[in-house]
Amino acid sequence: MVWCMGIDIGAAYSKGVLLRDSRTIATAVRLSGTNHQATASAIREELLAKLGQAPPSIKVIATGIGAGNVTFAAGKISDIVCTARGINKVFPEAKTAIDIGAQSTRVVKLDSNGMVVTFAVSEKCAAGSGRFIEVIANVLRIRLEDFGPLSLKSKSPITFSTGCAVFGESEAITRIAEGVTAPDIAAGVNLALASKVVSLVKRVGLDQPCAICGGGALNPGLITAVETGLSIKLLLPPQPQMVTALGAAMQACSSPAAQ
Amino acid sequence: MVEQTPLQKAYFAGIDIGSTMTKAVVIDAEGKMLSAIKGPTGPEHRHLANEVMKQALEQAKLKLEEIVYIIATGYGRFNVPFADEQVTELSCHARGVYSLFPGVRTAIDIGGQDAKCFKVNEGKLVDFIMNDKCAAGTGRFLELTASSLGIRLDDLGKLSLQATSPVEISNMCTIFAQQEVVMHLSQGVKIEDIIAGLHHALAERVAALARRLGIEPDVVLTGGVAKNIGMVQAMSQSLGCSLLVPEEPLLTGALGAALLAKDRVTKLVAQGKPLEARQRRLERATFYS
Repeated sequence: MVWCMGIDIGAAYSKGVLLRDSRTIATAVRLSGTNHQATASAIREELLAKLGQAPPSIKVIATGIGAGNVTFAAGKISDIVCTARGINKVFPEAKTAIDIGAQSTRVVKLDSNGMVVTFAVSEKCAAGSGRFIEVIANVLRIRLEDFGPLSLKSKSPITFSTGCAVFGESEAITRIAEGVTAPDIAAGVNLALASKVVSLVKRVGLDQPCAICGGGALNPGLITAVETGLSIKLLLPPQPQMVTALGAAMQACSSPAAQ
Repeated sequence: MVEQTPLQKAYFAGIDIGSTMTKAVVIDAEGKMLSAIKGPTGPEHRHLANEVMKQALEQAKLKLEEIVYIIATGYGRFNVPFADEQVTELSCHARGVYSLFPGVRTAIDIGGQDAKCFKVNEGKLVDFIMNDKCAAGTGRFLELTASSLGIRLDDLGKLSLQATSPVEISNMCTIFAQQEVVMHLSQGVKIEDIIAGLHHALAERVAALARRLGIEPDVVLTGGVAKNIGMVQAMSQSLGCSLLVPEEPLLTGALGAALLAKDRVTKLVAQGKPLEARQRRLERATFYS
């Protein structure tokens, strides 16, 4: 039996996946917080606790912006590579993966072995990432997980006149004062973010089938908006937030030292 | 029958409705500033414009009827119902800055919601470039990041002067920079060093804009951000030249609007037109007094 663990320390959330012979045994997710080292250890403990007994040896690969803080990992691998590998594990037929994270959006084109062909990242500004949703959820005083379902109730989404999340926040406040409903604002945010995602996809070139993952893929309104923008149906993994950690765990399994 | 006012006894006003602050200036025929009022811009421009104008008149001890011509400027300029004319803030700033610094060739105005760089020649706007697409490079950048530090906007300048090794803020995006500030704080970095780093980041962003236009001395810095001594120093360092800063950097737009009002009327009088025509228009606009 080969035991492998992937730990993905993201800008907002950290994720962990434990594999036995390439099968998912346990997953864990928690806020990244300010102490990534402690967060990584807590995720490892949570995964092992779900297992009941500690296996003799586990190969751990870290990924994400805080990968360097996972001191118990055997190595770290770029999140682009891990996302491609993770998507390939869930959907072997996928040619493109869209990963919407808290601080960046990544579009990765991959081959049938899950190897990266090319990619593009939007990380310069909050308007192109899940952070925009967080900012507006805060204005609407709703929980992040309620954002997507709320947006689906919209009848006429607003159009943001700005591409900036800071100005977008002011605009949302103004529109609320004008009597616009929260669903219409939430749906407007999804449309604005989707348009950024769509242009990123177009920059890389869309190859189908295309999958979507990352925390942003927990928002059904955003998925619909991206699907409409690209005029395609997207593949949605059962645990979209876990894909990159899964890829890291797969990388751990396939590296020679793990055998 | 409207009494005709001789030009020497005429008064002029400029009102500048910015995204954050509304400013009003009243001048006499010599261009001397008789009053200057600043108030925060609220959601209802119409009421605010009236209020600020009323205060400016009180301070100048004048009645609205005595003001011959009023020019409104700023992004809320169309919400000043009593103005005779609307002029873009660029032209007004150019005129205002020129009156204070006749040698000005480049002016940089960093406001609450945009940054403008413009070339001026003899008080006339020659060319300009501006950023109003995103909060990076505007006063909002400092407003938001200062709030993460729990520091008042007015205190940023003098605190930044105590920095010993300014941090580097690598994010352009205001929201990401705000997160970076929190991260630096959690690592125990001195607040003064963080503030100096923020000033440097904003200065670099605006300087890049100014460089696209071309920098020619004298360079004048205006807008609310120019009240921050740390920003003035950071801008001067990024541009590699010294900067002139008006005593009241918020007022150049309103002052320029008032001076343009005076220029307009002076020209009309020189063409032989009577001053009363203007007076009549103004009377018609005084519905709120």
